[in-house]
Amino acid sequence: MAVKFFGQFLAEKGVISGEDILKAIALQESVNLKFGEMALSMGLINESDIKRVQEAQRSEDLRFGDMCEKLGIMTGKEIDQVITKQKNSHLYIGEALVKVGAIQREDLQGYLDSFKEDQAPYVIEKVTIPCNTPYGELIEVSVDLTYKMVTRIVGLTFKPGQCEVVDRIDHSDTVASIGLSGDISACYLFAVSSSIRELIAKAILEEKDVANEPDEVMDDTVMEFANIVCGNIAAKAAQLGKKIEIAPPEVLNIAAEGNELPEDGKGLLFPIYLLGGHMALCMVIKEI
Amino acid sequence: MKKVLIVDDSISVSRQLQKILADSGDFEVIGHARNGLEAIKMYQAERPDIICMDMNMPEMDGLTTLRTLKTMNKGIQVIMVTSLGGVGDKYIEAIKLGARDVISKPFESDEVIEKLTRL
Repeated sequence: MAVKFFGQFLAEKGVISGEDILKAIALQESVNLKFGEMALSMGLINESDIKRVQEAQRSEDLRFGDMCEKLGIMTGKEIDQVITKQKNSHLYIGEALVKVGAIQREDLQGYLDSFKEDQAPYVIEKVTIPCNTPYGELIEVSVDLTYKMVTRIVGLTFKPGQCEVVDRIDHSDTVASIGLSGDISACYLFAVSSSIRELIAKAILEEKDVANEPDEVMDDTVMEFANIVCGNIAAKAAQLGKKIEIAPPEVLNIAAEGNELPEDGKGLLFPIYLLGGHMALCMVIKEI
Repeated sequence: MKKVLIVDDSISVSRQLQKILADSGDFEVIGHARNGLEAIKMYQAERPDIICMDMNMPEMDGLTTLRTLKTMNKGIQVIMVTSLGGVGDKYIEAIKLGARDVISKPFESDEVIEKLTRL
């Protein structure tokens, strides 16, 4: 029911064990060369070049290949050659599992097909966001997964509204906030009215009646919903080769007249229109 | 009946897990810890058979807590229950540190019972 990677999917099905995954990963790590290792094996750079690049990377956050180009160690064409060879010789987890004897080669395609089917609900769909938005791909993932989880977990039908760029956050009954760091520097805000909070609480607690639940529990269910969405965003980002760390969720107190965003922050507000209440997602991103 | 300690900063997840485990009739939840530090104290006091633990928690996160618990008792049975289960690096780190399994949120009750019963 969540975003998964292939090895995890097979482990959950009981096809392979955690030990099998570790063996396959160890094999991948020994076979899949990093950029510098591959360039070295192709004779395009030498050991002293690697030291130069690593030294330069301490003061400037650039990928190995980009730094090689900047320092004049490699040309753009040579960098492309290395990337192509990395791609062509990449050992994928499924193949690695075959090689370590965890699964049979003839079963691999069937497992891949089942995995694709399992993950079909989480294929990211296009979300319209303003041009040149920083972290555009990750913002789209965040918004689309929020929509998908609203349907899958809470069972609500809704109409997504158009994205608006905002410099303040309006008041809502509950606003759950989760800091995102790593390959994105942003804050995920999920705002709901009390009527929608009740629906989320019923879904998360699996209770028909939540009328007597204290506010602390009700807010906690909204935080947990946001936490589940953000965990799945991090999982999807990992599939795209991006790393996202998520902070523990918290509830924000938004004043009745709303709160201004920090000066270097830009809010992308995605209203979620539904009957009987209010829901919105706001991605607050640090201006780059 | 196996004794289970739930470690999660979310009250609602703790309640959800407690309900699932109690309904099965095979597990007894002996306590809830809200972070890793509480978990270590409760483990020392209660000695549960199984720990179901979140990864993303304040004070001390789940992977750091798992590492600490394993130094206290290598044989301790820990299952990570987390929204980060689909992040390959986190999953692999948890298994490397000795977690017996990882359950991704949102989870199904059958899945939780099946995995705990398998231990």
